[in-house]
Amino acid sequence: MLNSFIKAYNEAVFETDKDAAFNAVNAALAVGIRAEDVVFKIVIPAVEEMMSSISQDPDANLAQHFMTAQIAAEVTEKMLEKFDHPPEIVGRVVIGTAHGDLHSLGKRIVMGCLKALMVEATDLGANVPAQRFVDEALAHDAQVIAVSAMMVHTAIGENGARKVRRLLRERGLEERIKLIVGGAPYRYDAELFQTVGADAWAADGVSAARTIIHLIEQVKHHEVVANL
Amino acid sequence: MALLSVHSTRGNYRFDVAEGRSVREALDLTDVRVRAACGGTGVCGACVIHLISGDVSPPTPAEYLKLGPEQRTAGRRLACQLRLKGDAAIRLERPARVSPWKSIPPENLQPLIGGRADVQTHRLGVAVDLGTTSIRIAVLDRQGGRRIATRYGRNPQGDFGADVLNRLEAARASPKQAAELARLARGAIVRAVRDILARDLGEVTPMLAQIGQVLIVGNTAMLALLTGHGGDSLLDPAYWQNAIDCRPNDQAAWHALWPFPHAEIRVVDPVGGFVGSDLLADVWATGLVAGAAGALLLDIGTNTELALWDGKTLHVTSVAGGPAFEGAGICHGMPAEPGAIFRIQPHGQRYRCQTLGGEPARGFCGSGLVDAVALLLAEGRLKPSGRFAAPVMAEGYRFDPANRSTTVIGADIDAFQRAKAATAAAMSHLLVRAGMGWGDVQRLCVCGAFGRTLNIEHAQAVGLLPSLPVHAIELHSDASLAGCERALLAPQGADDFSELIAKTRLVNLSQTADYEDRYIEQLRLRPMMLGSSVPF
Repeated sequence: MLNSFIKAYNEAVFETDKDAAFNAVNAALAVGIRAEDVVFKIVIPAVEEMMSSISQDPDANLAQHFMTAQIAAEVTEKMLEKFDHPPEIVGRVVIGTAHGDLHSLGKRIVMGCLKALMVEATDLGANVPAQRFVDEALAHDAQVIAVSAMMVHTAIGENGARKVRRLLRERGLEERIKLIVGGAPYRYDAELFQTVGADAWAADGVSAARTIIHLIEQVKHHEVVANL
Repeated sequence: MALLSVHSTRGNYRFDVAEGRSVREALDLTDVRVRAACGGTGVCGACVIHLISGDVSPPTPAEYLKLGPEQRTAGRRLACQLRLKGDAAIRLERPARVSPWKSIPPENLQPLIGGRADVQTHRLGVAVDLGTTSIRIAVLDRQGGRRIATRYGRNPQGDFGADVLNRLEAARASPKQAAELARLARGAIVRAVRDILARDLGEVTPMLAQIGQVLIVGNTAMLALLTGHGGDSLLDPAYWQNAIDCRPNDQAAWHALWPFPHAEIRVVDPVGGFVGSDLLADVWATGLVAGAAGALLLDIGTNTELALWDGKTLHVTSVAGGPAFEGAGICHGMPAEPGAIFRIQPHGQRYRCQTLGGEPARGFCGSGLVDAVALLLAEGRLKPSGRFAAPVMAEGYRFDPANRSTTVIGADIDAFQRAKAATAAAMSHLLVRAGMGWGDVQRLCVCGAFGRTLNIEHAQAVGLLPSLPVHAIELHSDASLAGCERALLAPQGADDFSELIAKTRLVNLSQTADYEDRYIEQLRLRPMMLGSSVPF
């Protein structure tokens, strides 16, 4: 029974057909499948499938990524309302576009995937000062700060990721909070993320979500080890 | 349409030519131009060609004056006097040097209204539409209200990047690059003007001194790069909703860089943010604010600009449409130049690709790409997600099996989806911000990259344009240039643009989550939903 809904949902996601995806989910709920199972057995495997397929086909259609991430996020949001107990959160991330940069679309794909994967992502919006990234990360108890930059000067500038790194260092937060960057300039120069002091980078929104989860695990692992 | 076959030292060509058009006018639209040193009056005699055969007009008095009896019996004709009545073949022994500048097809130009009796000296005026991808120019006799000639060609700044941000960043990175970017645009404008003066007035230097006014409209980034002032502000989000001063810091020093000793050279102030004065020129040329409320204007390009007239206020905005509709970033994409596929029609089991000038297809321009996507979608070869259905493979779909340049690949569809989603979302968003809905829109003026060759039904089927009644949608070509020409001929000139700016309200799309939601909603290849004022 579940398999037929998985199949219908995967087909809908593949076709980026949001209405069909919701139809599949609603049909599953109608026969008594729990919202938890919809998320963990239907939605999350579909997102993971997308993540592994993108590493094989890096040129896959960006428009489709936007749409599939949006479907995953919207379906998850609806399902979470129906959960009996709040789900266990994998981790927390604050995400925003670097100071001086108003390109905010790029991080939409990351946000959508993270939401579906039970990572609590707080969107700080665009043109975010470095100080605010750090303050908000602390306020939300986030393991990861994600800084998106679409222009060369906001990617390498003194007020973007570089300054976030400096603040993390000055405040002794480098083990507790990891820094990931993304955006077009990092694609042209695969070592640029190190130049600006980031722990990681991702070439696209879908793999960014996966890398962010790795970073969250690193931080959590470090905390476990530190408490031994 | 008549078919003109041209045999020249550079090769053989075939062009579709409107009947009644002179051979010179026809070839001015292409890469194979005749030599010329007058405005096509037959005075200079430089455009002599050999008529091989064809149904053509008889020799004119000018040809009797310029060509001797032996020449005439040997088939010599003046290309500017020779008009086609049917198909014809000519031989062109000494073609003009290849030029990056071509004439704008006359059917795309708007008639000029009136001249300026107040202009006594330096009668010539130059109107410039400085676009990210192409530059369009007209030289006018301001006093007589007469157009001497037009030219269009690529903006050579393209080497620094197809989109405006790359170029602004290059200029910011070093003063040397900034100077180079300015020099490239300035040089292009000057060369186009010189080409007109040489070919259509017969003299260059004396005529440069006759130019009394140069009026330049363009998007904010292009104007800032030209004057070297304002680019830094544009890269700072704090200014994206403000007016940006793109006038040169030192007007006299800047003027000295141009070879127009007696001209007032004026960059028409942009509205603010990325909304330039090219949009104001569009608004003027289409009479948008002169008409009823509910008039929406779209200037499609790399930097797409929109204006919405609600009867009192002109709501304006801009969006990074991406250069897809101008043929950049598309595997076999090209601007609307000869050889560009501008229309595709089903033809039996296959397709028929129509190209500009009837030349062999070299790639797709914007309207051809819209047709390609709409036809593939309608026939189920392409799915609404933007994926090709099997059995179309990774290499894409080829419309003419014999010609590689007619291929559309998956990445093209992606670029197309994002460009059309940005355009559609910007329209919907602007309507909402003005408190209006699609039901209030009486008129939609589509200007910019598509010219007049866009298939409106196809654009509606893929969700690029709303499904309004077809009579409500107007296609305008070269509207920015037309508005700039009008300003050259208006007594107040460019000051009228300032009055228009006073009516505008600038909307910034980059700071609203609503816009992003709409953008994602519009990515699918399907008609736009117009049901409510908020389309979802």
